[in-house]
Amino acid sequence: MSELIIQTKGLTKKYRGRPAVDQLNLEISKGDIYGFLGPNGAGKTTTIRMLLGLIQPTSGSISIFGRELKRDKLNILRRIGSLVEYPSYYGHLSAIDNLEAIRRILDVPKPRIDEVLEIVSLTKEAKRPVKGYSLGMKQRLGIAASLLGNPELLILDEPTNGLDPSGIHEMRELIKSMPQQYGITVLVSSHLLGEVEQMAHKVGIIREGRMVFQDTIDNLRLQAQHDIELVVSEPDSAIWIARDLGQTGTLQGGIMTFPGMKDPQVAHLVKRLVENGHAIYRVEQKKKSLEDIFMQVIGEGSL
Amino acid sequence: MMLLRSLRADFLKIRRKGIWFLVFLAPIGLVAMQGLNFGLRFDYLSKRYEDDLWGGLIYNIEQFIPMALFLGCTLISSLVANVEHQMSSWKQLLALPVSRSAVFLAKFTLCVLVLAVSCLLLPILTAGLGLLLGFEPALPVQELLSMGFIPYLAAWPLLALQLWLSLTFRNQALPVSIGVAAAILSPFTLDLSVWLPLNWATLAMMDTSPVAYLLGGVSLSLFLLMISLLHFNRKDVD
Repeated sequence: MSELIIQTKGLTKKYRGRPAVDQLNLEISKGDIYGFLGPNGAGKTTTIRMLLGLIQPTSGSISIFGRELKRDKLNILRRIGSLVEYPSYYGHLSAIDNLEAIRRILDVPKPRIDEVLEIVSLTKEAKRPVKGYSLGMKQRLGIAASLLGNPELLILDEPTNGLDPSGIHEMRELIKSMPQQYGITVLVSSHLLGEVEQMAHKVGIIREGRMVFQDTIDNLRLQAQHDIELVVSEPDSAIWIARDLGQTGTLQGGIMTFPGMKDPQVAHLVKRLVENGHAIYRVEQKKKSLEDIFMQVIGEGSL
Repeated sequence: MMLLRSLRADFLKIRRKGIWFLVFLAPIGLVAMQGLNFGLRFDYLSKRYEDDLWGGLIYNIEQFIPMALFLGCTLISSLVANVEHQMSSWKQLLALPVSRSAVFLAKFTLCVLVLAVSCLLLPILTAGLGLLLGFEPALPVQELLSMGFIPYLAAWPLLALQLWLSLTFRNQALPVSIGVAAAILSPFTLDLSVWLPLNWATLAMMDTSPVAYLLGGVSLSLFLLMISLLHFNRKDVD
């Protein structure tokens, strides 16, 4: 396993005794695109604010680039670019002046402004006041601002929130290019799995402040339970045979569905049905979509 | 240095925010008012201040300085804070590699410098008005500069307080109300006590020696600044 860029241990934030983030162990490796998923209010933004030192954890530790955030905050922040929730900008200033205000603090060379504007394709609009921008352009300006300091780690909180489909597509392509072209590690949060699955290698799913799943997208697919569907000649009696074997299925439109059935159980059931003179037309594994799996995870809190 | 870098960024951010407009408006307004006063009743006033025409002009302007200062501190603090509040830029600003102390002190320095411009303009414009009215050309430089900067230093505690309130509360109604109330009440609190910081700006001009009020003003403002800094450094940013 490559080196960890972000590692939190037992990270907890309580508001009036109620935990918003509870014992979170986050692990993000170098060069990854890490999808941080969960329904609204699950604690994603609170976690991200803690990673950026905007709010203090109640307990637990945060280590970024192998250093303690508490002890070495400014040196760590120098290597991070961030975009937290809805975009921050100074509406009365142009994109160039917005970036210049940040550049003066970061103390990077001036030509860097043109570079980042080029990356997010805002060069043509750069001289207009930002308050006249569309949401997608503001969001792209936010990305440009986060790239200004040549970061090694990008932390993006809901970067596609409120964007239209083409804006979402653009943002996704932009994020995907970060590790490939610039060697940047990316943490991107979202409440939609569909948005993240096309760019992230690894996902962390958080629910009510707790991490319920953290692994690769492929493993998320593997771990899910799949339904088995059977179509037989006399389903009405077949379903009772299954029940005798301890398999409770449902019957709808002549199709019997058994949730989460293991291979030996399938074989056993088929054998018994054949012995009882049923003709078996089809035995199918019904794959759940990743979205179903996600809903299952955030619904029940486990796989 | 981080503070300087922050300050340079802040000067950029306050462009076209009405701050510079206020900075010029206040001294121009004060001097224009006395221009009108002296212009309309020049014969009466020039007889009344026969011995010291410059002193008479300065005295008449000084009456309005504390209130103008308090209003200035309130409005400038609020405008400076609002630049960050408006589009919730705090989360972006404070996630940059800059210490919160530097951010906070840069805002205070910004207010101090911007208000100092007003306080420098006031004596310059006053001198201009005096010359225009045909006062003797030997300028009372010391009195003019005292008028500009002595009450200003004595008013710093209010500036520190207002900036803290404005930075802390997203809704500017509370800090602005407090500041405006302080400005309006200030002429009526003079008899209460010399210990009331609100009176120091006036007393520093009127009393025999301003030193005590200046020391008091600067040290109280540093104390308030320290407390606000402690608070700002720890607070959670939403």
